[in-house]
Amino acid sequence: MLQLSWAGLRDRWTSFAGAVLTVCLGVALVQSSLLLLLASATADAPAGSGPVAQVRFEEARVVAVTVLAVTLALAAFLAVFVIASTFAFTVDQRRRDLALLRLVGAGRRQVVRLLLGEALLLGVLGSLAGSALGTGVVRVQTWLMVRVGLLPAGAGARWHAWVLPACVGVGTALALAGVFLAARRAARVRPLEALDAEEEPARVMTRGRWTTGVLLGAGAVVLLALSPLGGPAGGRAMAVCVSLLAALALAVLAPVAVPALAGALVPRGGVLGDLARANLRDEVRRSASTAAPLIVLVGLLLGQSGAAWSYTEAAVAQLRSTTAADLVVESTADADGALAQRLSAVPGVGSASSEVELPAALTTGSGETAFTGIRRVLVVDPGAYERAHPTSGSLQALRGAAVAAGPGALESSTGDRVGVRVGQVDLGPLPVVAAVPQAVGGGPALLLPAGLLPAELLQGSAVRTFVQLQGGSDRRQVAAALTAAGGRGARVSDVQDWLARSAQQAGSSDTSILVVVMGLGASYALIGVVNAGVVATAARRREFATARASGLTRRQVVGSAVLETWAVSGAGLLLGALAAAGTLAAVLIATASATGTASIDLPWPLVAAVVTGAFAVTGATSAWTAWSATRTAPVQLLRARE
Amino acid sequence: MPTNALAPTTAAVSLRAVSKTYGSGPTAVRAVDQVDLDLATGTWTAVMGPSGSGKSTLLNCAAGLERVDSGRVLLGGTDITDADDETLTRLRRTRVGFIFQSFNLVASLSAAQNVELPLRLAGKRPPRADVREALRAVGLAERADHRPRQLSGGQQQRVAIARALITRPQVLFADEPTGALDSSAARGVLDLLRAAADGGQSVVMVTHDPAAAARADATVLVRDGRVEDRVVGADAVTVAARLAAMGA
Ligand SMILES: Nc1ncnc2c1ncn2[C@@H]1O[C@H](COP(=O)(O)OP(=O)(O)O)[C@@H](O)[C@H]1O
Ligand SMILES: [Mg+2]
Repeated sequence: MLQLSWAGLRDRWTSFAGAVLTVCLGVALVQSSLLLLLASATADAPAGSGPVAQVRFEEARVVAVTVLAVTLALAAFLAVFVIASTFAFTVDQRRRDLALLRLVGAGRRQVVRLLLGEALLLGVLGSLAGSALGTGVVRVQTWLMVRVGLLPAGAGARWHAWVLPACVGVGTALALAGVFLAARRAARVRPLEALDAEEEPARVMTRGRWTTGVLLGAGAVVLLALSPLGGPAGGRAMAVCVSLLAALALAVLAPVAVPALAGALVPRGGVLGDLARANLRDEVRRSASTAAPLIVLVGLLLGQSGAAWSYTEAAVAQLRSTTAADLVVESTADADGALAQRLSAVPGVGSASSEVELPAALTTGSGETAFTGIRRVLVVDPGAYERAHPTSGSLQALRGAAVAAGPGALESSTGDRVGVRVGQVDLGPLPVVAAVPQAVGGGPALLLPAGLLPAELLQGSAVRTFVQLQGGSDRRQVAAALTAAGGRGARVSDVQDWLARSAQQAGSSDTSILVVVMGLGASYALIGVVNAGVVATAARRREFATARASGLTRRQVVGSAVLETWAVSGAGLLLGALAAAGTLAAVLIATASATGTASIDLPWPLVAAVVTGAFAVTGATSAWTAWSATRTAPVQLLRARE
Repeated sequence: MPTNALAPTTAAVSLRAVSKTYGSGPTAVRAVDQVDLDLATGTWTAVMGPSGSGKSTLLNCAAGLERVDSGRVLLGGTDITDADDETLTRLRRTRVGFIFQSFNLVASLSAAQNVELPLRLAGKRPPRADVREALRAVGLAERADHRPRQLSGGQQQRVAIARALITRPQVLFADEPTGALDSSAARGVLDLLRAAADGGQSVVMVTHDPAAAARADATVLVRDGRVEDRVVGADAVTVAARLAAMGA
């Protein structure tokens, strides 16, 4: 049996190399994300940093850990998906060989054992290589994270002894799991299939597959329907999951959806088009395997980034409509805490709301259920805040030792008590006496009345002051006076400019996070696509030879293969876009119900990059594999019937 | 049940009212239609008939590769009509061998490895000498380490015969074993089948070639899924004439 495995490996090395590669890259990516996650989850603030700096470090760490956790989850998800489908595909490509073994006396269990044995070998090989490669990937990932400011410069992952066995174990288990179902299916192959001139198009859509696909699709629809009810935060989480479920559903249903759609994409009339269309009809599994990673990639990428962009847009629109100010002063809090008074006292200023955003440790619940998390709080002058944000409702009760639920409150509402600690100042449990409406873009969890925190604690923090001008005052003059009163580094902007600038900033930080989370995953998914192409072409030598023997030139054969692949890629991209459309629809509904106007915005450069990238990669793979598969003269292949 | 009333048979292969239909509705094809057939142990039977007359289906049903819709199939007295997969697997390892027009060797294995494959799948490790001997018997002692693609068609088919015979099966099923070979390679293959039959094994061979059929002990003529005629000990000219008379 082992000899047979070995002989099989030697002969079908391209498909097996592809399988090893997917395990290798998947393991490398997962291992790298895991090590970075561990490193940043256990990192300590630089020695000698002050209490507020420490909380800020803590806060940055939470963001880094979140991004890394999402990357890890995505990497793991893609690894499971790509490894399982690649291994299943390599098995499905060998039905005839396996039928032949059955014909000369192999039992079903022997077939399963043979395939699992191979998967074990490939899984171990791939995982070992992946673990080694992971030490390189971790550098790339660290560099990316540092570059976009999610990790401090000099951050790095430490190697843990248990990582290697864990990675080998998981990589191998994934390979085995991927093969298992396919092996069981393959073991049921009828011995007579060894005699079929053509590989029998196996029944791809089993009842289990239909059920899974339909359930996932139904899940996406249900989430889409529920998303308006989830509130700003819950709605967003649901919207993001819609494309995840929809992409999976479409990937599972790819054997039905892809050939139909791809067939419609091939131009009619030409002989190459006809050939490509016929192949699409016959080679359902090949088309599905190529398109599935694309569906998942595009669904996730477009869905996630579309949601991020649209929510940023919605948040800015909401901020614009709920802010009543003419100018915004950005400055630094001073030691005496008198900045707010100085700005209010500038001639021509009607009202000025100075707001300082600080990270704080908030404790909700008590006793057993107490939970402490790092959130942002906003120190405000309640009266001025009401005037600058007219939709906030009354903050009259916000006086003395009390807090109000802020625009980003998640877990507290009027009547609760929340423990507040900023740096080393512990304010103890404070009653929540008021609440402002929640904002689409989130924001501080609590509003603290000015005076609750000592001025020296706020010193050095950024202060944002929304200024309303008195009627008839000169905007330029007031702005100049405010700049002078704001102290060193003060910057006065028109409120519209400030809104545009903060929107851009929010957008670019979303992009950075997305690049880190999606970039590596996307490359991995593309490799899955390349792989499916390589594996598929390994089995196409005879088919190509037949086509050439029937009068096609080598160039035409390659052209037809590329045409077919592009049609499949196009179908994959469209289906991925369909999955993403689910999320975008949910975003539209959710933002409309939260802000009154629906917002949608897409990162078009990213979309363009994915589309051209997908076509370039699949086209090049297809051309290259078809070209090398047609290197031998057709007669030679047709004569040696193997 | 009437089928239980069947008398035990000493025939190598017995078909009792066997029918097999492919597809359903208007496109249904009745490939084998109520066939009764007994093939005696140690004889070589050729099956002839027009293309599409159901020869291959008949062979596959008799060999347990295809399930029949009705009727019974007996191999060496054992009823295999409803045998489960495990029983059929065991049957393929021990009691039947196959040869096909398309050779069907495992491309990644050498000739010797192909030959020993059935035994290894059965959990036995055949002595090297046995494998050599099997290859020598088909005239390929020198080619043991060649892979199929390094062998000619006739050589590949002889490897396939060595593989089929190494388990010493009671019945050898051959579907157009010479169909892809030139006449001298075909003669070599037919010589090997003759030797097997003379050695007490039963051979069932589908063929298009009256000359090949003439090497067999008897020829069964099939049309539209039915056995129309049976010729014993006829030469190629007679077989061809009977075939022509049938309207093929
Ligand atoms: N797997 C199959 N599915 C459907 N029809 C089949 C199948 N195999 C054979 N047939 C049909 O059954 C008939 C007999 O086929 P076959 O036994 O291969 O004929 P022969 O070997 O005599 O040429 C033909 O009409 C053929 O089209
Ligand atoms: Mg036939």
